[in-house]
Amino acid sequence: MERNLFRYVWRLSRRDQLIIFAVVLASLPFYYWSLDLPKRIVNEAIQGGAFRSGLPTTDFLKLGVELPSYLGGGYVSIHDGYKVGQIGLLFGLSSLFLFFVLVNGAFKYWINVAKGALGERMLRRLRFDLFAIVLRFTPETQKTVKSSETATMIKDEVEPIGGFIGDAFSQPLLLGSQAITAMTFIMLQNVWLGLIAGGIVAIQFTVIPRMRRVQLRLGKQRQILSRRLAGKVSEVVDDLEAVHDNDATAYERADVSERLYTLFDLRFRIYKWKFMVKFLNNLLAQITPFFFYAVGGYFALKGTLDIGQLVAVIAAYRDLPPPLKELIDWDQQRLDVQIKYEQVVQQFSPDRLLSEETLAPLPPGVEPPRLQGPVALTDLHITDSHGMVLVEHLSFTRDLPMRIALVAQDSAAPGAVARVLARRITEYRGAVTFGDVELSRMPEHLTGRRIAYAGPEPVLFAGSLRENLVYGLRHRQRDAPELTGVRRMEALRTEAAMDATGEGWLDLELAGVDDATALDERLTDVLELVGLRESLLKLGMWGLVDPERYPRLAEKVVEARKIVRQRLEEQGLSNLIEPFDFELYNNQATVAENLLFGVPVHADFMGEALAENRLATRVLDAEDVLDSLINMGAGIAATMNEIFRDLPPGHPLFEQFSFIDADDIADFDDIVARWKSRGITGLSPDERARLLALTLDYIEPKHRLGLLNDDLRQALVRARKRLHAALDESAYVGAVEFYDPDRLTAAAPLRNNLAFGRMSHSMADALPRITAQTTELIDELGLRLDVERVGLDYQIGPAGRLLSAEHRVAVYIARGLIKNPDMLILDGVFSAFGENHARAMLTAISERMAGRSIVAVLHGEALADPGVFDMLVRFEGVHPVVVRDQHGASAAG
Amino acid sequence: MTLETEVQSLRQVPMFRDIDPARLKLLAFTSERVTFANGQRFFTQGDVGDAAYVILDGAADVLLETAHGQLKVAEFGRNALIGEMAVLAETPRSATIMAVGDVVALRIDKRVFIELLAQFPQMAIAVMREIATRLERTNARLASRN
Repeated sequence: MERNLFRYVWRLSRRDQLIIFAVVLASLPFYYWSLDLPKRIVNEAIQGGAFRSGLPTTDFLKLGVELPSYLGGGYVSIHDGYKVGQIGLLFGLSSLFLFFVLVNGAFKYWINVAKGALGERMLRRLRFDLFAIVLRFTPETQKTVKSSETATMIKDEVEPIGGFIGDAFSQPLLLGSQAITAMTFIMLQNVWLGLIAGGIVAIQFTVIPRMRRVQLRLGKQRQILSRRLAGKVSEVVDDLEAVHDNDATAYERADVSERLYTLFDLRFRIYKWKFMVKFLNNLLAQITPFFFYAVGGYFALKGTLDIGQLVAVIAAYRDLPPPLKELIDWDQQRLDVQIKYEQVVQQFSPDRLLSEETLAPLPPGVEPPRLQGPVALTDLHITDSHGMVLVEHLSFTRDLPMRIALVAQDSAAPGAVARVLARRITEYRGAVTFGDVELSRMPEHLTGRRIAYAGPEPVLFAGSLRENLVYGLRHRQRDAPELTGVRRMEALRTEAAMDATGEGWLDLELAGVDDATALDERLTDVLELVGLRESLLKLGMWGLVDPERYPRLAEKVVEARKIVRQRLEEQGLSNLIEPFDFELYNNQATVAENLLFGVPVHADFMGEALAENRLATRVLDAEDVLDSLINMGAGIAATMNEIFRDLPPGHPLFEQFSFIDADDIADFDDIVARWKSRGITGLSPDERARLLALTLDYIEPKHRLGLLNDDLRQALVRARKRLHAALDESAYVGAVEFYDPDRLTAAAPLRNNLAFGRMSHSMADALPRITAQTTELIDELGLRLDVERVGLDYQIGPAGRLLSAEHRVAVYIARGLIKNPDMLILDGVFSAFGENHARAMLTAISERMAGRSIVAVLHGEALADPGVFDMLVRFEGVHPVVVRDQHGASAAG
Repeated sequence: MTLETEVQSLRQVPMFRDIDPARLKLLAFTSERVTFANGQRFFTQGDVGDAAYVILDGAADVLLETAHGQLKVAEFGRNALIGEMAVLAETPRSATIMAVGDVVALRIDKRVFIELLAQFPQMAIAVMREIATRLERTNARLASRN
C-alpha cells in the first residue's frame, strides 16, 4: 500500500480531481462578479452614479472587448446592451445579482456532488484494497491480528479518510482561490483595509494550526484507545462463557471502566483544546469588522472611500472568514487523516502476505487440476511461534492415494504436520512437494478444491447450515452473471470485483451433482455419514417453510395435518392436541395467541408489545374485557409475588417459571398494592399494559391459577373476530398471519403446522407421542428430504454457536466431504465424539473417500483401523516412529 | 382443579406435611399436572429417574419386571408420592408404575425438586425425616424377621 495518502489519492483519482479543479476555476469569475455587483448596485443604481452625467438612461449589459494596441486597438462590441433608467438599472443589476447567486449555487452543488462521489469511490476502493490485503494474510500473520480491530479499521477508521479524499485537492484550491479573490477584492477597494484583513489572516494561519497539532496528537491517542476498546469488548463478548466460568465479571467491569475513564479523560482534553481554538478563531474573526467599521468608516468620512466600496468590502469580508476557517479545518483534517491513513496502512502491511499468484482464480474454461503424487516431505522442520520445535527431520515419500494415521501422546507434532499439509502453517523449513510442485507454490484453486481440512476448532460462520456446508463449493461458475449497468461502471472505476454475487457460485460439478435439489440430497447423505441426520430432521421440524422455495412441502403439510388429526382420533389420542378452531377458545394456547388466532409477524404484535398495541386494546375494550384482563394480570402478579417471594433473584426456578423478571418483582409489588387499594383507576396506562402483558402469557391448564372462566373465553373469541376485521382494514394488514386449516402458516415452525393446534399441557408424555406420530407420517408421505431441506435452512448462529460442540465439528467435517477432495485431512476431530461413534464415522468416511487420500490425526492408536489406514506413524516428542506400514515403500526418519 | 386443590393434596403427603403452604404452592406451581390414561406407564423399571409424581386422582399399580413377566407388588392411591427415591438417589427406577383407569398426577421435575431442596432447608429436613422414618421402619421389620 502507498504510505502517503496524497500520493495514493493522486495516483488513483487524478482525472476526477483535475475535472473538479477545472470547474472550480471556471466558477471563480462568477464568484468575483457576485462580490462586485453589490457595489455597482449601491453606487450606480441606488446612488445614481451612472446618471451623474445628466443622461436619463444608461447602457445595461453592454458587452464588448477593448482590443489591445498590438491588435490595432479599438472596441469590438459583442452586445449593444439596453438603454435603461435608474429604476430599470436597479432591477437589472439586482436581477443580475440574483442570477450570479444561482450560478454560484449551481457550481457549488456540482462541485459538492462531484467531491462526494469521488470521496465515496475512493473510500470504496480503500476498503476493498484493505480487505483484499486481509485475504492475503498468511496463517501466521492472521494469528497476530485482532479481528475486531481490523474490522473497526476497515469500517470506521477509514470513513473520515474517504470523506476527506474528495476535499483533498479541490478544497484548498477552491477555498484558497475564494479567499484570495475576496482579499484581492478588498485590496482593490482599499489597501489599508486589505492590509488589516491580511494581518489578521496571517495571525490565524500561524497560531491556530499550532494549537491544533496538540489536539491532533490527542486525537491519535484516542483513535488507538477506541480501537483497543472495541477489541476488548468483542473479546469479552466472544469469551463470555469463560468470563462467567472464572467469576471474572468484576475484573472485566473494572478493566473496561478504567479504559472508559482514560478515554473520557482524553476526549475531555480534546474538547477543551477544541473550544479554546474555536474561541480564538471567533475572536480574531470578529475583531476584523471592528477595524472595518472604525477604519473604513473613517476613510468614508474622509472621502477616500465611498459608501458603496465600504459596503462591498464588508460584504466581501463576510465571505472571507468561512473559506479561511475551512482552509484551517482542511489543514487540520489533512494532518488528522494522514495520521489515520498511516496507522491503518501500517496495520495492513504485515511482513508476509500470500502472493497474488496463489490467489489467482482458475482461468475460465480450464479444467480444475487434480492433486498429483507422489507426496514428498523432505527434512521437514516445524517450529511454533515461540520457536519451540514441533517436528524435526521428517522425511517420507508416498504415492497417492495415501492413508496415514498420525498419533502422539502429549505432542503437537501430528497436528503440525496435518496443518502444514493443509497450508495452515506456511512457515516451515524443508520441502513439501506434490508431484514436482512445492506446496507453497500451488495455487489456491488447486489446494482449495482438492485438499479438505477439518480441525478441532471448527470454523463456521453465521448463516444457514446449508451455507456452511457448501462453503467449499463457492467457486465462480462459467455461467455466473457478471455485473451490469451502474454497478459494473462503478466496479470498473474503483477496480473492485467484477463478479456479481448470488447466482452462479455453487460448484455443483465438484460436488458431483446436477442441481440444487440433488445437492441438498447429497448434503443430507454427508450429514448422515457424520451422524447428524436425525438432528437435521428435528431442525427441519422446528424450521419455517418458505412456500416459494418448498411449494410441495407447503402443499403437503395441509394434507399431513389432516392425517395427523385423523390418526390421533383413531387411536383415541385426540386430546393430545387441541386443534385451532376459529370459533373456539384454545385452552392450551396463551391468551395472546387466542386473541390473535395466528402468528405475529410485526413486532408490534409480539410479546409484551401486544399489551401496548392500541388496536388490540381497543378490540378488548369493545368486548368489555380489557379491565377484567388487567385485573387478571394483577391476580397473576399477586400470586407470583406470593410464590416466588422467598427465592433469591436470579434463581433458576425464578427464571424458568415466574411470569415476572426478578428485577421487576419490586415494581409489581408496588403495582399490586396500589391495585388492591384503588383498583385499576389507581394505575398508570403503562402499569396497566404491564399487567395485561402478564395475562396475555397465561395458559390455564399450564399455570392452573383458575383465572379464566367461560365468559372471558367467549369474549376473547369475539374479540379475536373483531381484531381480524380491524386488522384487515388497518395499516397493520398482514402483521399477524392468521391460522387457516387449509393453508400453511409460513410464520410458524413446521411441527406446529403439522399439529395445527396446541399440545396438551395436561397429557402425560404428549410431546414424544406427537413427535413419533408426525415423524412416522413424514416418512410415509415421502417428505423426509423436504423436511431435511428445511433443516438445512437452520441458522446456526455466529461461529455456529447454536449448534453443540460435537455438531459443529461434524458440520466442519461434512463441509470437507462435500467437495469430494483428493485428500482429506482430519486433524484431531474425533476427540469430539465417543469412541464408537468415531470408529463408525471413520469407516464411513473411508468408504466414501475410496481411492483418495486421508491424513488423520488421531488421539489413540486404537482408532487407526488397518482397514482404513495403511500407515500409522507415532510421534515421540518431535520424532516420528513408523508403527505400521503396509506398503513399506518408504522410510521415516 | 386449581393450584389451591393441588396444595391441599400435597399436604396429605407425609413427606410434605410440615412444609409451609407458600412453599407447597411453589412446588405445585413449578410442577406439571398430567393425566395418564388407563394402562399408560408413569415410567418403566430401569429408566433414569427424571421426576417424582403425586397422585391427585385415581390409582396406579406397582409392577416388577421379572423373568416371568410383570408382577404386581403394590398399588398406590390418592395423595401417594411415587418415584422420589430414584430422583433423590439418582438410581434407575426400581419398578414400573402403570395407571389403573384415568389418573391425574402432579409431575415434579427432578431438577426443580433438587433446586427447591437446596433452597429451602425446611423442605430438605422434611424429606430427610421422612426417609429416616422409612429406614427406621425397614430396620424394625428386618429385626423382627430375624
